[in-house]
Amino acid sequence: MAGKRGATPATYSPSLTTAKGKKKPPIFTDDANWVRSDGRHFHQCRPAFLRIATVNSASGSAYAEFGNTKVIVSVFGPRESKKAMMYSDVGRLNCNVSYTTFATPSRGQGSDNKDFSSMLHKALEGAIILESFPKTTVDVFALVLESGGSDLPVIISCASLALADAGIMLYDLVAAVSVSCLGKNLVIDPISEEEVYQEGSFMISCMPSRNEVTQLTVTGEWSTPKISEAMDLCLDACSKLGNIMRSCLKEPLSAPEE
Amino acid sequence: MVGLSVGEKHFIKGGIEQNLRTDGRKRYTYRPIYVETAVIPQANGSARVKFGATEVIASVKAELGKPSPSYPDKGKVLIHVDCSPTAEPAFEGRGGEELSSELSVALQRCLLGGKSGAGAGIDLSSLSIVEGKICWDLYIEGLVVSSDGNLLDALAAAIKASLSNTALPKVQVSSAASDEQPEVDLSDEEFLQFDTCGIPAIVTLTKVGKHYILDATSEEESQMSSAVSVSVNRQGRICGLTKRGGAGLNPSVIHDMISVAKHLSEQVINKLDSEIAAAEAREEDVP
Repeated sequence: MAGKRGATPATYSPSLTTAKGKKKPPIFTDDANWVRSDGRHFHQCRPAFLRIATVNSASGSAYAEFGNTKVIVSVFGPRESKKAMMYSDVGRLNCNVSYTTFATPSRGQGSDNKDFSSMLHKALEGAIILESFPKTTVDVFALVLESGGSDLPVIISCASLALADAGIMLYDLVAAVSVSCLGKNLVIDPISEEEVYQEGSFMISCMPSRNEVTQLTVTGEWSTPKISEAMDLCLDACSKLGNIMRSCLKEPLSAPEE
Repeated sequence: MVGLSVGEKHFIKGGIEQNLRTDGRKRYTYRPIYVETAVIPQANGSARVKFGATEVIASVKAELGKPSPSYPDKGKVLIHVDCSPTAEPAFEGRGGEELSSELSVALQRCLLGGKSGAGAGIDLSSLSIVEGKICWDLYIEGLVVSSDGNLLDALAAAIKASLSNTALPKVQVSSAASDEQPEVDLSDEEFLQFDTCGIPAIVTLTKVGKHYILDATSEEESQMSSAVSVSVNRQGRICGLTKRGGAGLNPSVIHDMISVAKHLSEQVINKLDSEIAAAEAREEDVP
């Protein structure tokens, strides 16, 4: 599937705005010449492959493939809220993230990420104009087909694309990127192996055109300059990813597949 | 749920703008903090913390367990928060579940660091007894007794207090063959005090209008656009960060919030430490 790329640029990598120059890999586990296992630079993201309208029965859907991370998101609604729900003059957003049993190396590992549903909800709710569909609910169902690292950012970006495909009113697309802290290095868009060894992780989801951060999580110990460096890096990557997402939406749907 | 009239909402927002909140506090002032330790005799350590009308209890239970194969030299810590319906009727049944899991995840992120345990506030390697064989499992249980906003900060403070109250029995390991599970003896007399100096404090800044406030009450929280919880340790390093609330934030605002939280954390940690010390001194006075 990844072979068939449209006119969208295949990769995106942020450029550090500060005059850091090019960053050669310094140290990681005493190996001076450490390169990432997939041959990327520290500040290079995986090729992004995005498609919309992949599930016919859903109001909107999107498929995202970032390296080995493969995610499919369907959006249903807006449809009438359940009877038990109280009246609400703004719309409701319901998010659910699930893993297939074969998504992870050892079966059923995906259930470690129970908090992803609420994280997805928090990342998206700031971008949706909930006032535009009172009394109704929009359901966002994400399914991780294969977990290859940076799952949550991929889910968030893919879900916002699916929302746009469903015609839900959004302030802006939400793009999300994470970085891992490995030794002294910041590694963008980490794969699973890198996530296992990471000392800290940083995930940001933002609306690039509005320059607003909808969700931000940090784990591990960080100094303030490192946080700013990670934030600059992620925001730059987000805006580039945002452009890719936008061009994916603009691609004519009727483009013959075969 | 907080029901407020238009006038009340206006009053709260206006007060925050003028740096005089409804209860007379300034924007960056905490409510009176009250700490009591050793409240649960069944647990290895426990504490009760009150921030004004918010009241939480944290307890630490220690059990001997087997370290996970991927991190043989580290113990395990599990944090769980329970929101009791006594605090708010909305927490009844499954109602409190969402908030409970949100708080648990935020505390885990702020206190335990990443999956590998690197950058954790709680030093997991100090819980190891025999590498790959035996370690301490700490079960940290938080309970919300009364809820009036700022639950995360209160819970983090209660966890810190309960850990400093925690005494782990000294373990005598009888040397067994290297492939067998060694036998252990728990001492009844000798206890090891848990080191808590590395445990960060969580500072939540709630954004109402253009300003941020510290230690928001639930009335103030109902008016927030978003909140950022920063966990900062004594060295001034950030150990975790979570954002709540739907509205987006400008990156420069986040930078500013982090630096404000860092600045305030020093004062919070000192205040909390002196309260914990006072609580422990009180406890020793009572026979």
